Amino acid sequence: MKLKHVMIVLKKEIKDLIRDKRTIISSIVLPMILIPVVNIVMGGGIQKFEKEINENVTVALSQSSNTAEARELVRDRILSKNPNIVLVDTDDPVKALENNEIRCIIELESSYAEKLKEGMPIHITLQYDESKTKSQAAADIVAWAVEEFSEEIIKERITSLGLDPAILQPVNIERVNVAPNEKGNNMMLEMMLPFMIAMLVAIGGIPAATDLVAGEKERNTFEPLLTTMPDRGSLLLGKYFAVTLFSFVSLIAILAGLFIGYMVNPNSLTIGVDAGLEGITLDPLALILALLITVALGMTFSGIQIALSTIAKSYKEAQTYMSFLILATMMPGYATMFIQATDLSPVMFTLPVMNTVAAFKMILGGRIDYFNLVLALVTSIVFVALTLAFAASLFKKEKVMFRN
Amino acid sequence: MERMIEVTGLVKKFGDFAAVDNVSFSVAKGEIFGLLGENGAGKTTTLRMLATMLRPTAGRAFLKGYDTQKEPEKVRAQIGILFGGETGLYDRLTVAENIAYFGELNGMSKAAIRERIRQLAQAFGMEDFINKRASRLSKGMKQKAAFARSIVHDPDIMLFDEPTSGLDVTAARDVHEFILRCKSEGKTIVFSSHSMSEVEKLCDRIGIIHRGKLVECGTVDELKKNTVTMIWKNYLSGWWVRNEAETCDDSTEKRDKGPDT
Repeated sequence: MKLKHVMIVLKKEIKDLIRDKRTIISSIVLPMILIPVVNIVMGGGIQKFEKEINENVTVALSQSSNTAEARELVRDRILSKNPNIVLVDTDDPVKALENNEIRCIIELESSYAEKLKEGMPIHITLQYDESKTKSQAAADIVAWAVEEFSEEIIKERITSLGLDPAILQPVNIERVNVAPNEKGNNMMLEMMLPFMIAMLVAIGGIPAATDLVAGEKERNTFEPLLTTMPDRGSLLLGKYFAVTLFSFVSLIAILAGLFIGYMVNPNSLTIGVDAGLEGITLDPLALILALLITVALGMTFSGIQIALSTIAKSYKEAQTYMSFLILATMMPGYATMFIQATDLSPVMFTLPVMNTVAAFKMILGGRIDYFNLVLALVTSIVFVALTLAFAASLFKKEKVMFRN
Repeated sequence: MERMIEVTGLVKKFGDFAAVDNVSFSVAKGEIFGLLGENGAGKTTTLRMLATMLRPTAGRAFLKGYDTQKEPEKVRAQIGILFGGETGLYDRLTVAENIAYFGELNGMSKAAIRERIRQLAQAFGMEDFINKRASRLSKGMKQKAAFARSIVHDPDIMLFDEPTSGLDVTAARDVHEFILRCKSEGKTIVFSSHSMSEVEKLCDRIGIIHRGKLVECGTVDELKKNTVTMIWKNYLSGWWVRNEAETCDDSTEKRDKGPDT
């Protein structure tokens, strides 16, 4: 194996791939544009919906309880601290709820005024439509306002008896957040970003790998290549590094896209959930280790992709194998995605994909464990060696190389 | 005369099936040696073993004195190869880049490649499209580019694997001219074909390969004179081994369209 030959193949493959519109579009252009656009659109949608749910919560009194006194009680006392709740006057509140003109109907029992005066409990019914998210949310918002009103009444009654309302709260609870300062409100970021990095590095090289071996076989360029001076190891390595490089180019393109999305709308990074980058401090050494683990993950998957592309008889067959690979990659990714940085176990640092997700979660969560990071790096290197050896063994197998 | 190719007892088995079975022949410098046989006879497998793409199960092959198994890199440096059907060019590279890539892989310096591309462009009349991408070329242009690429490193030995397969008459004639041009430059050539007229026209000597075995070997005149086997007789009459075919597999029977003799 000669480095010179590896470099010749690598240089040619890069030139060839750069000119391949299909690879450029699927590896760079699409993810760079699509992912931030989806995040912005989705994030924007979620934020808009959240705003709509909480703003202009229209409610009405039921026909039976729609009196001037009841309206006064509801508007001036029950809903007074909630300017986002608007009491609407309507003749047919049920129809108005059906037509989305209001979101919730408040019904007071007929004897509410007397019972309030006598210090008796009153009954309030909230009618809403479970099938409508806005209506469901409105019922919760109104119920919260009613509870506040209820507490106020209790305080008034206790005070009128000459007692201190504090007797109702014999124990005070104080919560103290002991999380490191850098760990802010980044739950969504911890969940999304590590998963995306691992997935994109693992699958980013697929278009290149499919083209460089199965594509070559299909275009009949592979056999002439095998009759040139370099040994198969050099040819394999040239292609392998080209695939690895493309998986990182793909990752960089997507990260650039995410950055552009962040500049346009900071919440696009977390799909609309309000969780900025402020307060995150990245440990430089841990970050370097995590990047090395990511590089190793990219190389591991390049080996697998080259192997699958070598086994395939045609471009189409290779694409089928690659779609299975994507599914197989998603499983460990999703399995780790929802786990919090504090709950990561050492086993997760020994498996491909999981280890990269875990490493970045750890860093974003600000809870660095160097032992686990080094463990992840060492096992990643083992996987790189194993997958490369597997691809190399296939390159030497006549049955595989000349399946046609 | 110097022997450029020496093949002794070459065997290639795929499982129990012997694709090439104890084949021996030699080719002298500047000679065109034709491997004649039906599809699946073992011609391509033999050429692949000579090109070090396949490892023989038994036997040995030497090209310009280099053992195909012990010194495969040196063997590959001595050979140029042209496959039939597709030209095998990289569509996204220009003709010059295609040629340069193979030049670089075969150890040529950049300066030498530049000069060689200039020579080849002139020799094959490719000046007008040398910097065009292969995907934008006509079939004829692609073929010229493939010729040029196969000899960019000026190999002493050329291997042609059914190079006219699937080509029209004009393109096939261009291939024939290219083969004769290689011969005139002193190159040693092994040429496989299933067309009797083609090998008769081009080859100095012919080896008839049937079911993996080399059943006859000699000059066209010698073979005509010593029409000792049914296979050769039937080749000459344009008919493919009726008696053999009756015991062959389906694919062989389908190919048997000749008259009864």
